[in-house]
Amino acid sequence: MRSLLISAVLCTAAVAAAQDLEARAVKADLTKDDPAAAYWASVPEVNVSLIGQPMVVPRPSTTTTSNLKVKVVHDGKRIAFRLQWADPEKSEAGRLGQFSDAAAIQFPAAVADFPPPVMMGAKGLPVHLFHWRAQYQRDREVGKPTVKDLYPNGSIDIYPMEFPNAEANQGLTAKDQEKFSPATAEGNPQAYSKTGVDEIIAEGFSTSQVKEGHSSSGTGAWRDGAWSLVISRPLAIEGGSTLTLGGKSWAAFAVWQGGQGEVGSRKCLTMAWSTLTLKEGP
Amino acid sequence: MSTVKNWQLKRDMEYAYDEARPKRQWAIVFDLNKCIACQTCTLACKTTWTSGKGQEYMFWNNVETKPYGSYPLGWDVNVLEKLGKQDWAKNGSYEGKTIFEAAPPEERAVHFSPTDEDWMYPNHGEDDCVGSQDSGGHVGALPHDKWFFYLPRTCAHCTYPACLAACPRKAIYKREEDGIVLIDQSRCKGYGECVRACPYKKSMYNPITRVSEKCVGCYPAVEQGIQPQCVVNCIGKIRTMGFINPPWKARKDNPIDYLVHTKGVALPYYPQLGLEPNIYYIPPIHADRDYLRQMFGPQVDGAIERYRTLAKDPVTAGLLCLIGSSDRIMHRFTVANGVATGFDERNTELVKVPVTEPIIERPAYDEKLETVRNNTP
Repeated sequence: MRSLLISAVLCTAAVAAAQDLEARAVKADLTKDDPAAAYWASVPEVNVSLIGQPMVVPRPSTTTTSNLKVKVVHDGKRIAFRLQWADPEKSEAGRLGQFSDAAAIQFPAAVADFPPPVMMGAKGLPVHLFHWRAQYQRDREVGKPTVKDLYPNGSIDIYPMEFPNAEANQGLTAKDQEKFSPATAEGNPQAYSKTGVDEIIAEGFSTSQVKEGHSSSGTGAWRDGAWSLVISRPLAIEGGSTLTLGGKSWAAFAVWQGGQGEVGSRKCLTMAWSTLTLKEGP
Repeated sequence: MSTVKNWQLKRDMEYAYDEARPKRQWAIVFDLNKCIACQTCTLACKTTWTSGKGQEYMFWNNVETKPYGSYPLGWDVNVLEKLGKQDWAKNGSYEGKTIFEAAPPEERAVHFSPTDEDWMYPNHGEDDCVGSQDSGGHVGALPHDKWFFYLPRTCAHCTYPACLAACPRKAIYKREEDGIVLIDQSRCKGYGECVRACPYKKSMYNPITRVSEKCVGCYPAVEQGIQPQCVVNCIGKIRTMGFINPPWKARKDNPIDYLVHTKGVALPYYPQLGLEPNIYYIPPIHADRDYLRQMFGPQVDGAIERYRTLAKDPVTAGLLCLIGSSDRIMHRFTVANGVATGFDERNTELVKVPVTEPIIERPAYDEKLETVRNNTP
């Protein structure tokens, strides 16, 4: 309860926040994420402040990412955010105890005069998140890793569900084989190959759920100790957040440094919404 | 944080959620004097639950040699070192901090995070003895000065699970009907907080499904009144699964309550961590007492004394004979006229065993077959 109240206070503060964003119109195909595209040069850069997530335990003991450079463009149909932050190492997770670099943008899930509580929304006040992970991007680029990819020197005798001569397993269908992989059998989105960005709806802490995607995408490039990432999405999403030309909305951000063990609630985030305006002209 | 009652510590303690004891609590008692580390339990579990991809390294049940064995590497020494001083008062209450109480404000529990290599040596330290026996030496006294013992371990389906407390998604739940702790495979996102927080390191990350998994207490069997795979496959009959009550509700005819509460021969391991774990051990009588006191608390001396006088206690001896004599969960037992009897939940008789097996003496030479008999023990 206390956390909700504090979030509500933060959300009120957010309306007056200084780190406001303006999306410039560009003539470009925003279905292709390109952190190095020429049009980014003409767009003003906003420095957004992040701090270590302070509300939910477990949380980070320090702020690993304090500044996020944000640029926003739109083409009348899609909106693209370029996020840049310093991260000394590229982390794509995979093996045990490894975590992925990641970033997320959060929007109010419904059009309203005031945004929901900035930290994951609240019951009846949902937020719509676009969560990119380097790990998910790797899935798209080179495929979801197999055990052999993760542990090339691992020695495995047999997998009983695949053993062709095992009498008991004759005729095992792919669906039956899934039973050996509980999260897959349960349809947990985490267990399947990803394309780069998860779309998530949340109504408060501990409630986030991956939803069917709406052609959102994300592509990041790590170079010289920094990530440059583009997350793009359609302006209008039925049943989710919708952004309109000339209209005002809000956005909030979070960054995870996988190499620092950041995952889940161990993240750095904006403590206030940035207003987001979509400019009609260039 | 809530204040909850932990009977194993004989005091209240801090926990992330309110006290919510299940209707009944899954529990296993192991007699460590009988375990030979044959790993039949380990393999019974492995073939039942973790033969899939991403589970190659997982042993929800494992048996390690103490003091040098550990899976994952150093799970016990790492968390004990971080916990600080762990003293017990003369009245048996715990004076140190639990992993919840010792945690910094940003964490649910004091913990360490194993790396993948830490999981790769499940047999590390196997059969390693403390010290080496001099040539011609003789182990004549108890406890032995050169010692080791085997420690079979499953998830303890704790009353106050650290895994559950640490999960920011609330994807871990403790079942009201039997106290089994499960990770919701449809909600888990593989943050690994349970892997970090569980001091016994019985939550494990599956790198292929990218979510965490753990011992499920063989709940599909338990729901049908059958004991878990690791228990029914134990060839040494060293373990039994049943339901334990807290001491204020203990029943003398409940096998688990009898061994833990009435007789006090079975003890929780590392109770000072504060999770109220529900796997209980009859301590090995030959191992170093200081080590055993650290692992099982101050009641270990009494437990060993009582265990060593079992020959004069037909009830406990009878109960130990019942262990491993039925696949079904024993809810009640009786010992009368040299016969121990176990009953299921509906009070139907499960099994009857003699407390003392009859001894039959035969001549060394069989006249009829004209052959010498060999007694092969």
